This record gives sequence, structure tokens and C-alpha cells, in this order.
Amino acid sequence: MMTVRLRRISGREDKRIGTRKRKGRYLENVRKHWMLYVMVLPGILYYIVFKYVPLTGSVIALQDFKILKGIGGSPWVGLDNFRYIFSYHDFYLVLRNTAVIAFYKLIFGFPAPIVLALLFNEIRLMAAKRLAQSLFYLPHFLSWVVVGGIVFELLSNQGIVNVIRGWFGYEPVLFMQTERYFRTIVVLSGIWKGVGWGTIIYLAAIAGVNPNLYEAAVVDGANRFKQTIHITLPTMLPTIVVLFLLDIGNFLELGFDQIFNLLTPMTYSVGDIIETYVYRAGVLQGQYSVTTAIGLFQSVIGFALLWAFNRLARKTEQGLW
Amino acid sequence: MKPSYGEKAFQAFNYAFMLAASATMLFPLLQMLAVSFSSPEAADSKKVFLLPVEFTMGTWDHVIRSQALWGSFGVTIFITVVGTFLSVLFSLLMAYPLSRKELLIRKPIMFGIVVTMIFNAPMIPYFLTVRELGLMNTIWVLIIPSLIGTFNMIVIRTFLMGIPPELDDSARIDGCNDFGILFRIYLPLSKPVIATVSLFYAVGYWNTFTQAVLFVHDQTKWPLQMRLRAYLQSPEELASVNLFLGDYDFNTTTLKAATILFATIPIVLVYPFLQKYFVKGSLLGSLKG
Repeated sequence: MMTVRLRRISGREDKRIGTRKRKGRYLENVRKHWMLYVMVLPGILYYIVFKYVPLTGSVIALQDFKILKGIGGSPWVGLDNFRYIFSYHDFYLVLRNTAVIAFYKLIFGFPAPIVLALLFNEIRLMAAKRLAQSLFYLPHFLSWVVVGGIVFELLSNQGIVNVIRGWFGYEPVLFMQTERYFRTIVVLSGIWKGVGWGTIIYLAAIAGVNPNLYEAAVVDGANRFKQTIHITLPTMLPTIVVLFLLDIGNFLELGFDQIFNLLTPMTYSVGDIIETYVYRAGVLQGQYSVTTAIGLFQSVIGFALLWAFNRLARKTEQGLW
Repeated sequence: MKPSYGEKAFQAFNYAFMLAASATMLFPLLQMLAVSFSSPEAADSKKVFLLPVEFTMGTWDHVIRSQALWGSFGVTIFITVVGTFLSVLFSLLMAYPLSRKELLIRKPIMFGIVVTMIFNAPMIPYFLTVRELGLMNTIWVLIIPSLIGTFNMIVIRTFLMGIPPELDDSARIDGCNDFGILFRIYLPLSKPVIATVSLFYAVGYWNTFTQAVLFVHDQTKWPLQMRLRAYLQSPEELASVNLFLGDYDFNTTTLKAATILFATIPIVLVYPFLQKYFVKGSLLGSLKG
């Protein structure tokens, strides 16, 4: 699956061919199939301009970047920006918020679609299963602006949650403006939006199980629960590992859209994450170099985590590479 | 084998859970709908549950008269239609050569693409790059920087690689060049995957938000999601009248509910018909090498 693809596309050309011979081969190839090269050109340009130029533009983390002087004219300051952020109190606050929310999302959000997929699998009525799936997939297609708006409305003073609390005689709570609820809301709304869609890939893995295995297990006297533990889950494991690694690689990238649309100044102390902070300090206030340094730091942590967990995964299962 | 007692209990639990959980998927939208058709007094006095209380069309009447909202609707329609077309076209143009063995540099290119999936450029250099290109405050900034989605492109490529190469041998003998092969032979064969990818792109464009936050300050070019966000932040602006002076049949609560639905209803309406394409497509990318 994913593993194979990543490995294959990153594979190298055959190195045994001599360079001169190779050059000739390339020229002839380009002459013969020039149309293919023409077709791929706009795509390559797109990736260079919108992916690689910004990536190399990250060098402004080592500069005191001024927008009017550009990268060429701005003075180099070495690691000063990194020294600055590590001595800066706000940085630790957003880093902690990011890490804590990321951790909660991982331990609660990651297993949710696995559990749901297993529960889907136990539904015997096909019509009911299909209907439930349709409903669960729906929130995936709503934007975070919409979902954020709905969450705010449902949890507002006159919102439905406080209405229900009122039935039982509880005082209304301003959930969105109270620090201690913020992270729970982030995790729950994330699960609400993504859990159904997340099951698709696991359901595909479950569908790939050889039915003979279940028959054999039934003969051996295994009940549904034991079949799930000993047959279904092990079959899903490679998929789980790959998705876990991909999640880990994006560990600190919580998604700007979600947090931005749930955050209020009242909840900055627990909910302001790297991306929302970078947006405010960088885009709005123009501290380009410092916020780029923070962004780079985030990328490096992400890659380090991916690398470490990939090594770990390779010891037991297959990794990404 | 007869199901045991425990299994029966589990089945009962499972159905109950599914029923409750599925309901929570639909419930918030229904509640918004009820609020948007309720009188402002009812909406603010915690009376509205799933059915409108003191039914009124006042809120919707006001919302659908909002020029700004329809303006943003137009922007979103434009980027969804034009953006989806361009994205599919350029993804296809890139995916086809990358699926051909004749393109000798396809492996380094694929490697370069996969690298961008792992190393994302930080927000600020990306922001500065797009700004340098002079795309700020244009409608194109909502399309061009997100022209090719890597996942979608790979989905198309994977599909094209599965088409038997014998097909184009005969076409080539008939004097067809690569453009001809792509558009006359491969494109008709890839209709299902093109449909799926178009839908993914379309949903992405419909929900465009971050791009607008970063690059579009000109309100006349705001897409719908951006406008919705602005109205959720300050619903008084949508009200466009002073709600404290005078007796209106809407207020900020009902207006917010209606605006949320305004941006959502198109998706909910097309969703049931297109759902199967989405599900199929989400698996295509990961299945084959």
C-alpha cells in the first residue's frame, strides 16, 4: 500500500549506466517524447514556485528580514532569531499548548475511527450500515468556519447544550469563553468532523480479510469478540501503523483552520497554538523572521518525530521507508 | 452457532450507539435550521429545540437580501467552477507523463513531490512568496497557489498506470501524439477517477478559507467562508440595522444560524448524490503502488 508507493517513487534511477551514454540517451528521449516533457512542465513549475521557493525562503529565519529590502538586502543575523524565541515566554506557552492539544488529539482522536470502523463492521443490516456511514461522512465536507460557527452557537449561553443543562436545573456555562473547556472542545469537534471519514481506509482493510479465517475461527469456537481481537485487528495493523506514522509526522500541525475558528482572546492561554500565533505575529504584525524561525522549529520537530517513530515501527512492523 | 447472550447484548448496544451517534451528525444542522426559522425572542429564550418556535421567515428574508452575501456566493461559485476545472486539467497534465515509462525523469520528479508532502514550507515564507508574485487581493490567489493537490494528482497517476499500455500502441500507429492519446483515449477511460478528483477539488474550493484570510483583504473578493466568518464575528454587520432601535423579526442569533446554513446547504444538497464517488476516491490513492 502506502509503504510500497513511497519506497518505489523514491527509488533511484539505475546507476550503472555511464554518464556520457546516459546523456545521449536523455537527449534522444527528450527529442522523441518532447510532448511528455511539455506536459509535465507546468506541474513542475507549480511545485517549484509554491512549494520549493517558500521552502528555501525559510532562510529568512537566519536574517533580520525587512520586506522592502528583500532576502538579498536584509542583514544576516545567524541564530539570533532562534535565541530570541527560546528566551521568549510566549513561545513556550504556544509550544506547550500545541504539544498538549496534539497529544490529546493523538490519544483520543487517532483510535476513534479504528473503534468506529470495528463497530460499523458489526452491523448486520446492510441498509442501516450504509445509512450510518452516510451520516458519519457528512461533517468531513463542512468547512471549519461552519463547524466552528455551529460549535459556538450550540455552546453559547442560549445554545442547546445550556438549554439541556437548564432542564436538569444547572446554571448555564459559557463553554467557549472558559479556559478549561477549550481543549476538550477542540478534541471533540475534531473527532465529530473527522471520525466517519477516517473509517473508510480501515473499512477497506477489514474488507480485505479472508473470510476463511473467520470460518476457521468459528470452528475453533471463537466468538465475535475473539474474532475481532485475533483476526480483524491484526489485519488492520499495517494500515494503523502507516496512518499513525503520517499523523506523527504532522504531530505539531494541528490545522490552522480548526483552532483559528474556535479561538477567542479569552482562551489564548490554553488554545493559542504555533500556527495561530505565527499568523498573528507574522502576517498581521510583520515579525517575519522570528515567526519563520518558529515555523522551521515546528517542521524540524515534526520530521524528527517521524524519523524516530519510523525507526521504531521498522523494528516490529513495516515503516514508511 | 446460536449467538450468545453477550453477543446479543453487544448488538443491542451497537445499534443504540450508532443511532445516537448518527443523530449527533445531523442534529446540529437541524438545530440551526430550527433557530433560523424561529422568532428572535424564542431563539434567545432557550425554547428552540428541533422545531422552529413562533415560525417566521424574517431571518431568511433578510439574509437572502444581503448583497454582500450573494457577492461572496458568486466568488465562491467562480473559484469552485474555474478552480476545479483548472486543477483537474493541470493535475491530469502532470499525472499523465508521470505515469509513462518514457519520461525518464519521472522518478526524481516524484521524489521531489513526495518531499513536499513531508517538508511543508512554514506559513510566513509561503505568505511572502505569494505576495511577491503580486497575487494579493486578486481572486486568482484563491486558485493558483492551490492548483495541484498532491494527493489528487497521485490518485490520477495511479489510475492512469493501471490502463493497459497496448491501447496507445495502436493509437500511436494511427498517428496520434501524446496529447491526442491523453485526451482522446485516456481521458474517456478515466472518467470515474476524474469525477472523484473533481469532487475533492470542488469541496476544497468551496471551503476555501485560510487562503482568503492570508491574502484577500478586499471585501468584494471574499469567498463565502470568509464572509461567514466575518458575520459570525460581528453579526451586527449583517443585520445592517440597529437591532436595539425598533422591532425586527430577526436578531444576531437567528442571523448567525441562517448564515451558517447559507454556506452549508449547497454541500448538504449535493452530498447524497455524490457520496459514493467520494468514498471510492479516498481509497484510490492508497491502494496501488
